[in-house]
Amino acid sequence: MVETADNLKTKLRKFTFKALKATVKGVIFYVIYFVLWTMFLAHAAALVPGLQQIIETFVIVYIVLMVVGELTSGTIYRFFFDAAKALFVIGYLIFSLKGGVIDVSFENVNLLVDLRIFLSIAILLSLLGLAKSVLGAINFMSEKAEYAYV
Amino acid sequence: MIGIATTIFWIFLIIFAITAVYSIKDVNFEFGEPQMNIAEDGEMVFSLPINITNRSFYNIGFFNVTTKVSDENGHVIAEGSSSVPFVKSGEKVTATHNMTVNFSDLMQNNQNYLFNDTELKIFTTLGMGVAEVIPVQASTNMSVPWGAPFYNFLLGTPERVAFNSTHAMVTVPVSFENHAFFDITGTMQVQMYNDADLLAGESQTAIDALHYSFYNGYVEFYVPITRLTRTGHFEVYFLTPLFSYGPLVIPYG
Repeated sequence: MVETADNLKTKLRKFTFKALKATVKGVIFYVIYFVLWTMFLAHAAALVPGLQQIIETFVIVYIVLMVVGELTSGTIYRFFFDAAKALFVIGYLIFSLKGGVIDVSFENVNLLVDLRIFLSIAILLSLLGLAKSVLGAINFMSEKAEYAYV
Repeated sequence: MIGIATTIFWIFLIIFAITAVYSIKDVNFEFGEPQMNIAEDGEMVFSLPINITNRSFYNIGFFNVTTKVSDENGHVIAEGSSSVPFVKSGEKVTATHNMTVNFSDLMQNNQNYLFNDTELKIFTTLGMGVAEVIPVQASTNMSVPWGAPFYNFLLGTPERVAFNSTHAMVTVPVSFENHAFFDITGTMQVQMYNDADLLAGESQTAIDALHYSFYNGYVEFYVPITRLTRTGHFEVYFLTPLFSYGPLVIPYG
C-alpha cells in the first residue's frame, strides 16, 4: 500500500516536472517568436498578405507538438511526436513557401522571390531531425528489449 | 550531438532569413532625370540613371534592369538591359540604363507611328540577389501614349498662278500637329506628279515644329504649263536628323 502511494507520488512528480519543462519550452519558443515578429517580421507583414496567419498557425502547431512531445518523454510516443514535428515543418514550409517560388502581385507590379535555396536547407535540417527521431525510437526500443532480457 | 548541431543550424538559418528579408527595406533605388541623345547614325539613346543605395546588412548581387518597349501587337520596338554585378553593403552605386531606338527603321517599317497617335507597352523587370543568394524580381507593365510627329498631316488644294508664258507657280498649303515628345527640325521634299505620272515639279521646304505644336506652311512649285493637269499625286519625303521617311503618296484634284 505504502509502495503504491510512493509510486504514484514519484509518477506525479515526474509528470509535474515534464509539464513544467514543456511549459518553459513553449513559453521560450513563443517569446522568441514574439520578439522576432515585433522587431522584424511585422514590417514585412504589411507587404505580404496573410503572412501573420501563416506564421501564427505554424507557431501554434509547432508549440503543441513540442509540448505533447515533452509530456510523453520517456515513452515511445515522444519520438512519434518529434517525427511528426519534423514532417510538419517540411510540409508546412513547402506549402507556405509555395515550393520555394513566391509570386505576389500588387496592382500592376509583380514580385517574384526565389527561396528554393532557403527551402532546401530547411528541409535538409528537418530531415536530420526526422532521422534523429527514428534513430531515437530504435535506440529506445532496443534499450527496452535489453532491460527486459536482463 | 545531432540535436545541438541542427538547433545551431536552425538558429543561423532563421536569423539569416529574417535579417535578409528585414534589410530589403534599407535598399533604396532612385531614378534620375531621363536623358535623350541622338547618335550620328540617327539612333536615339534614352538614358536613365539609377542610384542604388545599399544600407542593408548584406551585399546585393546580380542587380539588373531590363526594359522592353513593344507596340499594341506585341512587336518589340526597343529593348535595353543594364546590370551591376555587385553592390556592397553600405555602398552607393550609380548605374545607367540605356535603351536605343532607331526611329528611321521604326517609321519606315510602320508609318502609323508618323501620322497616328497610339499606345506603346513598356515591360520593365528589376532583379537582384538579396544577400547574393535570394533572387528577387519585380516586374511591371505599363502603357505610354505615343504622339505622332506628323499627326493629321494635310496637303491642301494646289493653287496655281501663271508665272510666265511657260511656267505656272503652284502653291500647296501644308499643315500638321507635332504630337511627339521631340521637336522636328529638318526638310520636307515634295514632288508633284501629273495624271500621266510625269514629274511636274519638285520643291522642298524647311520644317521646324516644336513638340506639341501646330505647324502651318506651304510649298511652292514652278511647273511647266504643259505638264499641269487637274489631277495627279504628290510624293512627300521627310528628312530629319532623327528619321527619314518617304515617299508618302497623296493624290490631289
